[in-house]
Amino acid sequence: MAVVTRIPSLSASCSVSSSTSKTQSRKSNYFSLTQVFSVRCSLHSQATSPFTEKHSVERYERDSWLYKYQFQNLSTSSCPVPPDQESIREYEIALQLPELRKLLEVLREKRESENRDKRRGPGNVFLVGTGPGDPELLTVKALRVIQSADLLLYDRLVSDDVLNLVGPNARLLYVGKTAGYHSRTQEEIHELLLSFAEAGANVVRLKGGDPLVFGRGGEEMDFLQQQGIGVKVIPGITAASGIAAELGIPLTHRGVANSVRFLTGHSKNGGTDPLFVVENAADPDSTLVVYMGLSTLPSLASKLMHRGLPQDTPAVAVERGTTPQQRMVLAELKDLAYEITLNQLVSPTLIIIGKVVALSPLWPHVKKETSSLMEAN
Amino acid sequence: MALVTRIPSLSASCSASCSTANNQSRKSNSFRFTPVFSINCSLHSQETSPFTENHSVERYERDSWLYKYQLQNSLSSSCPVPPDLESIREYDIALQLPELKKLLEVLREKRESENRAQRRCPGNVFLVGTGPGDPELLTVKALRVIKSADLLLYDRLVSNDVLNLVCPSARLLYVGKTAGYHSRTQEEIHELLLSFAEVGANVVRLKGGDPLVFGRGGEEMDFLQQQGIEVKVIPGITAASGIAAELGIPLTQRGVANSVRFLTGHSRNGGTDPLFVAENAADPDSTLVVYMGLSTLPSLASKLMHHGLPQDTAAVAVERGTTPQQRTVFAELKDLADEIALNQLVSPTLIIIGRVVALSPLWHHVKKETSVLMEAN
Repeated sequence: MAVVTRIPSLSASCSVSSSTSKTQSRKSNYFSLTQVFSVRCSLHSQATSPFTEKHSVERYERDSWLYKYQFQNLSTSSCPVPPDQESIREYEIALQLPELRKLLEVLREKRESENRDKRRGPGNVFLVGTGPGDPELLTVKALRVIQSADLLLYDRLVSDDVLNLVGPNARLLYVGKTAGYHSRTQEEIHELLLSFAEAGANVVRLKGGDPLVFGRGGEEMDFLQQQGIGVKVIPGITAASGIAAELGIPLTHRGVANSVRFLTGHSKNGGTDPLFVVENAADPDSTLVVYMGLSTLPSLASKLMHRGLPQDTPAVAVERGTTPQQRMVLAELKDLAYEITLNQLVSPTLIIIGKVVALSPLWPHVKKETSSLMEAN
Repeated sequence: MALVTRIPSLSASCSASCSTANNQSRKSNSFRFTPVFSINCSLHSQETSPFTENHSVERYERDSWLYKYQLQNSLSSSCPVPPDLESIREYDIALQLPELKKLLEVLREKRESENRAQRRCPGNVFLVGTGPGDPELLTVKALRVIKSADLLLYDRLVSNDVLNLVCPSARLLYVGKTAGYHSRTQEEIHELLLSFAEVGANVVRLKGGDPLVFGRGGEEMDFLQQQGIEVKVIPGITAASGIAAELGIPLTQRGVANSVRFLTGHSRNGGTDPLFVAENAADPDSTLVVYMGLSTLPSLASKLMHHGLPQDTAAVAVERGTTPQQRTVFAELKDLADEIALNQLVSPTLIIIGRVVALSPLWHHVKKETSVLMEAN
């Protein structure tokens, strides 16, 4: 459990500033942030992220097994290896494939020597939910499967703490969107997944949160099943549950909210309009939880209010929930977009909108403040 | 993972019957159940329930520590002990209180002897989600807390397999609605909870699924916090996630469902009309998950269709999901209520309505038949 305090801890690399009268002039009727410092440092976020950022040290350390072999096999590689780090990143998938094939051979030989007299059973492909970040929020089943996996595919939403739980002989492969994941190469990786499963390896596809809630788990399952590979799904604590528990916010509550709705903030073509049609979501008796909603929040909030959701509906935005780097902003709906921008929250951020948010012990019941920023110690 | 097959296993104590022409005459255009047997036995359900039914053997075995002392102390007790088991059940709470007080004394003395020189720390009260039934779906954190608990309160939605994980010296207390839980005695139990926490005991309130999704966890948190006791919430796999994973149903899927909504099927005053207003739930681009919806399903389904949700929307009802006793009925929305009644599904049953249900590998059986009953091996 993260302890939440009102005063942010200061990182040596950041500059801290009090709110200036410039920000106050935008809206005349609120006292904002006079008590609270806002932390403005864009580098800070990346330095201490609990997740695998694209060009992070953690990621390259984990993937080093790939590059090591590649450097050794310079003359046999079909791709020329450019000398600089930048270009190496561009050829990532091409580098990974030869190494994956090598791993496949190793595993095949290993299984053959183990199963000489026995009929070799196909391996399993597991789609495993890892929760919002806290490794203690893995299910017992997920932990067991992760520790016995030979090859684990992961992306940016799986926390470093969870990745550190894998077995010493396991291989990790980063397959996030930002990895330069071309469609042709995606097919090759899927084919390799099949081969691994057929060779009897235990292959795990790690997903943040729950694989079947905004995780595109269905698409991955679908592909594999079409190829005749059975996929087993291990559920995970979805961000809504993990973060609600952390903040003491009941997602449903008698007399306050009789339903809860999970939405995606994703937009068409990366624009600022949410895909989700808002008209029937402006229900004051329902709790709204918005996943991946940072970029479309201003538009979503204004549409909700236009459709009748009260302007003073309590809301909270939680960045990196359940990790030590958790930060949150509590505000009324009308001020939420602004406060999020002011505090420069980054993805992954979960937004909860509804009367239930005010049931949290953390909701400031002091009338004079519009919002407050809270950080984990 | 439970294996699901089309032919139900027959229990020795049940009679199995094929659908008769009686059922078929209700709707002239359905081919029903010719290849599938339906099981009609009300006793069967109760005997093999994975949950603690009110008057079950498991419950009395667990609570025996209470009755044992009470019978010994019948002279000193303020409540007379009637000789028959029936009346003892009526005096449940009255019997529990003296024994709880006794346990409290024991723990107080224990902590005092341990902490003679140290300042006594207050104990913790945890609200712990235990998932839908499969004990492997507990989170690592929940398991740790359960194993170190001194006193655990539980109700009918916590599976027996989970209850078997507690430490041998822990005490279990059944506090389900059906326990004859009077409001005056509820206050006494809450006061005892406080006292236990103050003497440093670890008290756990076990909840099925996730405590903050239709678990009334907020109300319990609220009461304790008002008394100055801090409650820590440990999230659990909510039934929607656990069961979706089991059946391979993505709750959200690109191009199919961009949001998922959890509703309660509870009605006002135990009637047949759902509390929830269905008009804004009839959204074909959204997945609906109905908790505790058996009694109000006919009314909910008809309202949804009245408000525009297509009659042939895929749906599924899952009884005792993720346990070995899981039973599943797939059907189109227009037939769902009938099929549930026909197969006599009992609580706890989760209902999922939406196009995503048809993405399950188990759905394609439904093409030729109106619905299919599936059971775990």
